[in-house]
Amino acid sequence: MTSVTATDTPTARSAGTAPPSLATRAVDLVASEWTKFRSVRSSFWSLLVAVVTPIAVSTFVAFIFASQPASAGPRPDPLLPEVVSLEYAVIAVSVMGVLAFSAEYSTGLIRTTFTAAPRRRAVLAAKAVVLGTVTLAAGELVAFTSFFLSQAVLAGHHQGVSLSRPGVPGAVLAAGILLCVCTMLGLALGSIIRHTAGGIAATIGVILLPAILGLLPAPWNGRIGRFALLEAAQQVTALHPAANLFSPGLSLLVLLAWPAAALAVAAILIIRRDI
Amino acid sequence: MTDAGLIEVTGLTKRFGPVTAVDDLSFTVQPGHVTGFLGPNGAGKTTTMRIILGLAAPTSGRALVGGRRYDALIRPLREVGALLDATALHGGRTAWMHLVSVARSNGIGRPRVTEVLRLTGLEAVANRRVNGFSLGMKQRLGIAAALLGDPPVLMFDEPVNGLDPEGIRWIRGFFSALAAQGRTVLVSSHLMSEMALTADHLIIIGRGRLLADLPTAALIESSGRGDVLLRSPRAAELAGLITARGAAVTRQDDGALAVTGLDAAAIGDLAAARGIALHALVPRQASLEDAYLDLTGESVDYRGEGTAPQ
Repeated sequence: MTSVTATDTPTARSAGTAPPSLATRAVDLVASEWTKFRSVRSSFWSLLVAVVTPIAVSTFVAFIFASQPASAGPRPDPLLPEVVSLEYAVIAVSVMGVLAFSAEYSTGLIRTTFTAAPRRRAVLAAKAVVLGTVTLAAGELVAFTSFFLSQAVLAGHHQGVSLSRPGVPGAVLAAGILLCVCTMLGLALGSIIRHTAGGIAATIGVILLPAILGLLPAPWNGRIGRFALLEAAQQVTALHPAANLFSPGLSLLVLLAWPAAALAVAAILIIRRDI
Repeated sequence: MTDAGLIEVTGLTKRFGPVTAVDDLSFTVQPGHVTGFLGPNGAGKTTTMRIILGLAAPTSGRALVGGRRYDALIRPLREVGALLDATALHGGRTAWMHLVSVARSNGIGRPRVTEVLRLTGLEAVANRRVNGFSLGMKQRLGIAAALLGDPPVLMFDEPVNGLDPEGIRWIRGFFSALAAQGRTVLVSSHLMSEMALTADHLIIIGRGRLLADLPTAALIESSGRGDVLLRSPRAAELAGLITARGAAVTRQDDGALAVTGLDAAAIGDLAAARGIALHALVPRQASLEDAYLDLTGESVDYRGEGTAPQ
């Protein structure tokens, strides 16, 4: 029914072609990972959940904030609704990040991947570029959409802030990187742990650490909590940063240090272990 | 480059804790042949292939493809095509997208993806998700992926597992055609009978050690030539005639004669010339399985007791 006569002879092909440049190979690997990403349904659904949920939740939270009587105590930070809601989206994209490697390890597809690209760190980098770009774009889309919607609600009750106010554009931009940060953390832990359930548990555990640290008595809740990922995220995105945590600048470093450290460990382990 | 297409394994050892999976293994696989990589389950075939492909690091020794370590290859799919596990696929992806994603990583274009789908007979199902594929279709998809870079070296781990008879016949012809084009084709199996039909050279290992490295024909030769089984009402008289011709006769328990050194046609002619009736005349092939079991018998890790449980 089929024959191999149509293939050219191997000797005719391998001679005489110059090796492709590093840039060409990098583009090829990223394109390969992009093809993988867009060809499974879970990517689409994770992104949809990550975009729609926080926009809806932030608008809802803004309504609740706005409905509180002025006598109820100090006003919450006007930027809090969108940060709180982004924390929901974090779960969806974290899982997506974990699956990028754990799905390949669990099916065995990772062997095909690393046979096609023996430089494993380049594969890690290519996956990071694809997922990082997509989730950064999605995160900023969510951050700005949530901002405009929730501020429109708050403005109706004279509590809103405008994008032109000093500190606001930076805070909204910073909120947008949260999805990307958590996806990179998931990607790294998925690569290190190699199992989907374990990878998700570890990633969620790291992200939800502040919920536990917040129960510590003062001043320990702040002394340790300032290193927690979500505390740092709230600090970076707040219009009125908390006094017992790091400054927004340092908190941004903490926020970026988590995925950076996890990716560094992943990069060390990925070339040392058998597949 | 004289090393082109060669797979060279030298002093390869791989230990997993206390278990030595591959033990000082050395062999060379030549282009232009289908080489069978034979051994019982657990003999170290897959581990050796993983080391050749750079997926596992050897404890000592080395494996080279075309004179280079696998992880030094710039466009590895253009040098080596491999199928380790046909079921290692993301079930939600279509065959087309799977192949495109693999091809793209080595700068291989879509026309070649279309071509390998045609070569493996998968055009009609290219846009179906692979979780609906039978094992045979997944084997074909794995072979298609291995062919993407049109490589001079091809490696297949247990490729006939799960194939139906038509698929097995197809794959044999396919391997032969690839070897005839001058490619190096290494095919692992634990089934001697399959390799006897597929491979013209054999590398046999057991418990990680090399047991034999020889042409398939030489193993058949060493296993002894075939014999002819006959039955006749005048068996004793016929036996005398046959031994007079210089052949050897062994009387079986049931009265039949096993003849070596004279073929069935000659025995039939001899009997007819004397008017001796023959009730059976059966040429028997030398048992390659026996030769194989003689070689690997000492090295089987998991063996049945041979008696039914009480």
